[in-house]
Amino acid sequence: MSEIELTGLRKVFEGGVRAVDGIDLTVADGEFFALLGPSGCGKTTLLRTVAGLESADGGTIAIGGDDVTRLSPGDRDVAMVFQDYALFPHMSVVENIAYPQRVKRVPKAERQAAAAAVGADLELAGLMDRRPGQLSGGQQQRVALARAVAARPRVFLFDEPLSNLDARLRLSARTFLKRLQRELAVTTVFVTHDQAEALALADRIAVMEAGRIRQVGTPQEVFRRPANTFVANFIGSTPMNLLPGVAVEGGVTVAGVRLPAAHSVAAGTELVVGFRPEYATASAEDLPGALPGRVAIVEHLGTSLLLTLESGDLAVGVTVPEDAEPAPGTSLWVQPRPDRLLLYDAGGGDIIEA
Amino acid sequence: MAQPTSPPAEPAVADEAAPGRTDGSDAAGLGRLRAALFVTPALLIIGVFLVFPALWTLYLGVTDYRLTGIAAARPSFVGFANYVRALTDPLFHNALWLTLLFVFGSAIIGQTVLGFGLAWTLRSAPRWVRGTVESLVLLAWILPGVVVAFLWIALLDSDRGTLNALLGTAGHAWLVDNPMTVLIVFNTWRGTAFSMMLFAAALAALPPSQLETARLAGASGWQTVRDVVLPHLRRHLLTNTLLISLWTFNDFTPYLITAGNPDHRSEVLPVYIYLTAIPGGQLGFGSAISLLMLVINLALAFFYLRLLRERRS
Repeated sequence: MSEIELTGLRKVFEGGVRAVDGIDLTVADGEFFALLGPSGCGKTTLLRTVAGLESADGGTIAIGGDDVTRLSPGDRDVAMVFQDYALFPHMSVVENIAYPQRVKRVPKAERQAAAAAVGADLELAGLMDRRPGQLSGGQQQRVALARAVAARPRVFLFDEPLSNLDARLRLSARTFLKRLQRELAVTTVFVTHDQAEALALADRIAVMEAGRIRQVGTPQEVFRRPANTFVANFIGSTPMNLLPGVAVEGGVTVAGVRLPAAHSVAAGTELVVGFRPEYATASAEDLPGALPGRVAIVEHLGTSLLLTLESGDLAVGVTVPEDAEPAPGTSLWVQPRPDRLLLYDAGGGDIIEA
Repeated sequence: MAQPTSPPAEPAVADEAAPGRTDGSDAAGLGRLRAALFVTPALLIIGVFLVFPALWTLYLGVTDYRLTGIAAARPSFVGFANYVRALTDPLFHNALWLTLLFVFGSAIIGQTVLGFGLAWTLRSAPRWVRGTVESLVLLAWILPGVVVAFLWIALLDSDRGTLNALLGTAGHAWLVDNPMTVLIVFNTWRGTAFSMMLFAAALAALPPSQLETARLAGASGWQTVRDVVLPHLRRHLLTNTLLISLWTFNDFTPYLITAGNPDHRSEVLPVYIYLTAIPGGQLGFGSAISLLMLVINLALAFFYLRLLRERRS
């Protein structure tokens, strides 16, 4: 068992920046857990504090039930993969992979055999005698992974392990990483600023902002029901529509249009109405519960188009199939799917439950 | 002397003196004559103060030239006698041995180890500690030799020296009893700044993630230095050793502290040459030893450069 339990964890940098500001979090044994957030949100600091590279200023860290808060990094039984891979340029691939074992004084033959076996699993079989400088970016990334795997730790910590790869390679490396983690079933925490990567890889995601966790949930939960407008803004490859509205009996009005929605707030309350461009349809004629607008911008997303409509003072996004490209200036009506409509508190930005 | 691009019929000099000429060999458009005029003062100075003394030394080395007396007025050619004499002279052997001791003890061991140690420990020190230590170490480096020599004589004086006052060893004559130890400690103190700065710069270029990977693997401080830091510093280590061993080999400051005393026991090569040639008056013999020293310098430099080139390939 190697679940990670963080209780009230705090890390304050010189100058009073609260990089990690009282975080309570449990990562289950064998879980693939993503820390997601914009740069400067404290996700990397949180990971480094779990690793022991930063000392906690408050709270506790437990791995597998053992309090490791005051242990040095080498005694925590964790392995980390860095964004720059941190391979030793003067060592061959096999020496790099076997390095943690060498520090633990495992006999040379034994540790090299283990390194070769892990290397073969990670498609590095023919490269074991090369130096890191002679490898491609993808190969270097797999060497860094192999070094973490060969250490047989209780926990993997990945700090943006895919962000130095080019876009095409990143997708295949993503699949590779997910399969590897499934097979090894080692508790894994990884940091990313890429919401698509987090959604694709993680069993659960914690979305962070300014040292705090704004939402924890499965990719579906975080994508379908963002707990607040910050998460709603951050998650999704197209920006979610967040429009000012007013509650009415059995619905909301946005720019004078009544949209049906179940809620329990008093009529007349101001709130924010959210829906994803993918969860709305555009039609050429006026439908009930549809916002009128004029096409201002057309963006090609591949299989679909993202239209940005001007609707009075508001900008409304909607996706349409690739073969239905409207000319800019066309009048359209956007009808959100009622079951995908989200209501947020206008002040705090928290979701309003139905 | 005509340039290949010059028209064959024209006199070369007139052509080159013409203003505004811009062909491939004359980027400044000055013409060869005017360009030569600009360069001449520099060449003259180099010739008078560098080339002529070097050739003069070569010449002196094969004569019995002395500062005073008959041999000063009419030096005679003695062939390789000076060199034979130097190579069989116990005092030359003594000076060479002391110099090697001096270089090895103060530069290769003292400055390198202390410089690396300071650079490595100061990385994680608080800013004010780092600033203070660096300033003090640098101060030892930039103070004029005469000043630091005087400071050390005052420090080590047997009657009223600071060190004896601190240690309660009044009357101990450091400069007489331990002259080479004093010189080695002195030069380590004086020259560490260079190694410290060079290693600090090299360490700043080491990716922190590599050190952190070693920490996460559980490597001790020594293992981290051995496995991660030293391999990274190998090239800098060679360059640093080359420079500081040459500087130390040729350092004349020991003369200002012990002047080779007592009884030649701190007489490193530069001091030996000076004592032989100037107060001793044997310019011919001194020149011969100077040339031998130059050869040793070249051999040292060649050896290091070879090592450096091997690392590169």
